[in-house]
Amino acid sequence: MPINLKEERDPELVKQIVEVGGEDLLKCYQCGTCIADCPTGIADEPLSVKRLIHIAKLGLAEVLIEDESPWMCVTCTGCEERCPRDARPFEIVLAIRRWQCLEDETYIPQTLTEIYERGHTQNVVNPMREELDLPEIKTVATREDLLEKFRQLLRETRVVKEHGYMFGIMEG
Amino acid sequence: MKVGLFLGCNMPALRPDNEKAIRVSLESLGVEVVDLEGAACCPAYGTFWSADEEAALAVGAWNYSIAEKMGVDMVVQCGSCYSTLKMSRHKLINGKLQEINEKFLSKVGAKYEGKSDTKHITDFLYNTIGVDKIKSSLKYSMKGLKAVVQVPCHTIRPSKILGFDDPENPQVLKELTRALGAEVPTFTRDKQCCGGAGGYARNNRRAALEFLKLKLDSMKEEVDPDCIVVSCITCLMWMDEAQEEMRKLGMIDYSIPVFDYNQLLAICQGHDPQKVARIAATPRDEVIVKILENKI
Repeated sequence: MPINLKEERDPELVKQIVEVGGEDLLKCYQCGTCIADCPTGIADEPLSVKRLIHIAKLGLAEVLIEDESPWMCVTCTGCEERCPRDARPFEIVLAIRRWQCLEDETYIPQTLTEIYERGHTQNVVNPMREELDLPEIKTVATREDLLEKFRQLLRETRVVKEHGYMFGIMEG
Repeated sequence: MKVGLFLGCNMPALRPDNEKAIRVSLESLGVEVVDLEGAACCPAYGTFWSADEEAALAVGAWNYSIAEKMGVDMVVQCGSCYSTLKMSRHKLINGKLQEINEKFLSKVGAKYEGKSDTKHITDFLYNTIGVDKIKSSLKYSMKGLKAVVQVPCHTIRPSKILGFDDPENPQVLKELTRALGAEVPTFTRDKQCCGGAGGYARNNRRAALEFLKLKLDSMKEEVDPDCIVVSCITCLMWMDEAQEEMRKLGMIDYSIPVFDYNQLLAICQGHDPQKVARIAATPRDEVIVKILENKI
């Protein structure tokens, strides 16, 4: 999507991204090292942290909220290792995801509810365990009392408190 | 020596044979493996880290509090779990520990003091156990086999936070594979990421497959390896299963078996391949047969 400079600017945008962990974004001098080695370079719309930072600095909130490329990140952290300004591009990717989740809750990953439900992203008790002579799983997946404690801990977090209904938590 | 095995989610859910390989191969090296009672998701970068960092740190601290209570460090194979657990610990011990304990862990009677740490299994095998001990545990050898390694990105970067190997020229997995008797040649795209983690394959599958194909073509043309050795559940499943998908799509016409390092180690130690290396989309039997012909 091309950047349209006539678009409405939000001077608070950079500040908002800094607040959710993107504080090193201001160090970026747009060299492009972060995209040179990114696995998504051959994608239909590559993830360019450099470009995302530029959009944020211009205050183009409407453009940033529509951009799903941060969610394509492989999390390989090649950009984080090689950034000559130590702007921590990977942390900025995560910060932009968090900002998007705050602005539009449909960005909140469904897996959060899986983790709340069973402590894991999926069912970890594979029926093959017995055939392989594996010991019983001892994570929260099989320990109901500990799973309840784990859920209690999650209920103290902002994302669960603010979106209780997503996690099947009834108000009151 | 006692370690807490951090299972994560993908390995027990989808590749329990890999879990078996890790348990038995560590036991053959005299390591006592204990289960972390009440552990949960690490949590992965695509989950709480992407929505609420404090929540991610709370979950990370929950996992550490279990290991610490049991008096063990955690050993983990999954690259993503390793990276997020190290990242949590880094952020906790550099300022967030007290706050996370007070706001979250204290509410459920748990506490993390910053003592317990995490080691990637290749770091543990190479730097704690050592190649000499590994060599002396072997009954079979990979002699005559050519193996390339896929070093998991999450175990080398960001090196300042979680590194134990040269981030631009990692050697640990290569040395461990050589200890099994295999030849470990290098090739142009040796250090390329597999592309299997995060949201790439989900958001743009064509591109993620083509990205992997670049690497597979490079190793096939330049060294024609007998197998790929990984030490990360995502590298394992992606490089194995995406190959099958690409063969069906006509993108590749060859087949390179993929093993987790501990699966090869366990087979070389004499453990039953049917238990430690059962699940694969890309057939691995030829490599297993060759190893079992090489009795030491």
